[in-house]
Amino acid sequence: MAIVDLISTSVVRVPLKSKTKTEVIRELVDVLDKADKISDKESVFKAVIARENMGSTGLEKGIAVPHAKTEKVKNLTLAIGVAPDGVDFDALDGEKSKLFFLLLAQPNQSGPHIEALAEIARITRSQSFCRLLVNAATPEEVVELFRED
Amino acid sequence: MDGPVKKIMVYVDGTEESITAAQYGICLARATGAEFYALYIVNTRALSDLVNAKIFLQAEEEEYKNDLEHDADRYLNHIKQMAREKGVAVKTLKSSGSVNVEIKNNVNENEIDLLIIGELSKIRSRRDELYNETERAMRSVNCSVLIAKDEERIWSLYNQLV
Repeated sequence: MAIVDLISTSVVRVPLKSKTKTEVIRELVDVLDKADKISDKESVFKAVIARENMGSTGLEKGIAVPHAKTEKVKNLTLAIGVAPDGVDFDALDGEKSKLFFLLLAQPNQSGPHIEALAEIARITRSQSFCRLLVNAATPEEVVELFRED
Repeated sequence: MDGPVKKIMVYVDGTEESITAAQYGICLARATGAEFYALYIVNTRALSDLVNAKIFLQAEEEEYKNDLEHDADRYLNHIKQMAREKGVAVKTLKSSGSVNVEIKNNVNENEIDLLIIGELSKIRSRRDELYNETERAMRSVNCSVLIAKDEERIWSLYNQLV
């Protein structure tokens, strides 16, 4: 399944209101809850935090890819958040993170889960594409960028 | 067996589309008498990419690799069971590495003359064309490729086999 198939305006938050790592995760989980993609937001939040506690998914150059396996999603699910001013996500390079890809999958969906994460890794290698995403003003613009790319 | 298709291979990745492809493969194997193979690939290339990109921790790589190995056995056993119910013998194959490379290698090594794959995602961006592993395999294998579509019709065909 291509990432673009997972993205709709209902799972994109631009801009994020959160100012801390925990708040960002909470806000993206709320986005998925409102979009009716998860069945128990507290449990999903805990699963993502548990993974973060093993090591931050804040990568370099303003990208963060929090992810978790959870029974509380039916299918592979993605939320995207954009924080133009950046949030401290304990990133590897110490920089603030501006683009957040929260990916959730059922424990028995490891294949699609891994392929989706690998696609996110490939997409975020393009600094120009990431710049366009960070400068997007609305969820519609984010969705359009993925379809055009 | 003198028909035009002697060895059919279905690529299974755990998606519903690939299970439908397997059902179609079973129907075709029954109709043609071709040998039937099912292939699952543990995508260790993607796992390495994720560790290199620092998205995965080393411990996660191991955990997900085990998950994939487990999935491989589960899905291949499922296909064995489906084939057995319809009186078709199936040879299951499990490989590790890059999906498109391993599909091509297994097609060559087993002298497959028809590869069946599940329905592909709609192309919605240029990136999809570049990175869809199954589509890359479809383009690079040396044998004919069949994309199984219309899940309901295939389910009905499979169900009617006695």
